[in-house]
Amino acid sequence: MLSSTLQDKTIKRNGMTVVDVDVHAHETPAALAPYIEMPWRKTLEHLATVPARYLDIPGFAPNIGLYPSFPESGGQRRMTVTSADQMRTDLDDLGIDIGVLFPDHLLTHAALKQTDYAVALARAYNRWLVEEWLGKDNGLVGALIAPHHDPVAAADEIRRYAAHRNVVAVYLPTCCVDPLYGNTRYDPMFKAAQEEGLPVMFHSVTAIHPVFPFNLHGFDTTFGAHILAHPFALIANLVSMMETGVPARFPELQIAFTEGGVAWVPWIMWRMDKEYAERRREVAALKDRPSSYVRRMYFATQPIEEPEYLGDMATMLTLFGGEDSVLFASDWPHHDFDHPSKILQIPLPEETQRKIMGGNALRLLRLEDRVK
Amino acid sequence: MSQEYVVATVDQVPAGKHIIVHVRGREIGLFNIDGKYYALPNACFHQNGPLCRGAISGTVVVNAKTEWKRTWAMQGEVVVCPWHSLEFHVPTGQCLAYPKRKLPTWPVKAEGDQITVTM
Repeated sequence: MLSSTLQDKTIKRNGMTVVDVDVHAHETPAALAPYIEMPWRKTLEHLATVPARYLDIPGFAPNIGLYPSFPESGGQRRMTVTSADQMRTDLDDLGIDIGVLFPDHLLTHAALKQTDYAVALARAYNRWLVEEWLGKDNGLVGALIAPHHDPVAAADEIRRYAAHRNVVAVYLPTCCVDPLYGNTRYDPMFKAAQEEGLPVMFHSVTAIHPVFPFNLHGFDTTFGAHILAHPFALIANLVSMMETGVPARFPELQIAFTEGGVAWVPWIMWRMDKEYAERRREVAALKDRPSSYVRRMYFATQPIEEPEYLGDMATMLTLFGGEDSVLFASDWPHHDFDHPSKILQIPLPEETQRKIMGGNALRLLRLEDRVK
Repeated sequence: MSQEYVVATVDQVPAGKHIIVHVRGREIGLFNIDGKYYALPNACFHQNGPLCRGAISGTVVVNAKTEWKRTWAMQGEVVVCPWHSLEFHVPTGQCLAYPKRKLPTWPVKAEGDQITVTM
């Protein structure tokens, strides 16, 4: 990787622990083929012969690329991390102590049709993740995929890996999900996560798909689609969960949102509060304003907003208690990754920086005893 | 210093009804729920709507006791603001949406054919 000239000097001051709640392991059909059961091994062996396309493989990571591009344009940098050793080296260069692994291709897992295949693929990914990435105590921890297509199977996966020392969260693909996560069909999954004490992390991505965030085809550019796809998918699922009272019905369930930035949080929190005043009866499972639940949820920074005056970010964080609920995320090695130094440029008290860069994540992921 | 004010006669407020009365320059909603009388301010803290001109109702309750099913409860005990539908439990003044927000209530009693509010 191209190292930052700022590394270590900025990040490692005063022994700050940096936890990155969103880094990506590159799982390919060929890599997962040995871990998937038949007949799907045949599928992955076949897909392994398809010429590689960046995060876009029919039948594995379905996506629709609508937009032309130019060489060296933004968004065209296509890096992958294919081994735990490489990831550890990269995170060391970035000044990151602990990284939470998410997949690459399976960010669009929700777009897959055929429930049995989607479940088999999730199981294969989880086996591969545990076997090839989470075997050492080297600061690499992971989020298992819960195959929400079959919520009972998802609950089984959660229970299967909950005791694994380095499985620290449940990854729920948030783009292309239908129905949205408030639907009570998902209750077994949330129940398992709550009982096992694993936080659920909703992770967004950009994809053109008939379900939320739909109508992205209406944009002429990746600029337009990418701005809205990520936060819209998170917002839609948050609102959906509020509709059926997920945070009231699963009061111990810990909920985190990744890859939508954070500035949408106060906006949707207040929109929900406004509507709640008039329509409380429709969401009667909630005991208080939606914001009272949002304030107990967690939000990952990447892609962090970059207003002209970074002090505005510090102000914005105070609007929803972000000091205690915002989690640093880099999204390494994706094209729009955020270097830790970007977060540290926000004028925040050192104690708040410590929480956002690591303290909040250590608490959420129950990793406090791993840090000296 | 609080004082008793005669505000209505009992035949003006039969069970299940409520009226608006004026006490010490304030508009008060006077409610009769199953023969017990209650008084709330006729002003919703939300946007200052005329709360007590709203309808008496029950409400939807969903919790662990209802096994997270929608149920109807508190029939006759809830007044709904006619402006934005914020709900209040009349006997306690409790806002159903906001557990930390309560309207003031005043003691009401019927003596003979007169209803008095202590304010």
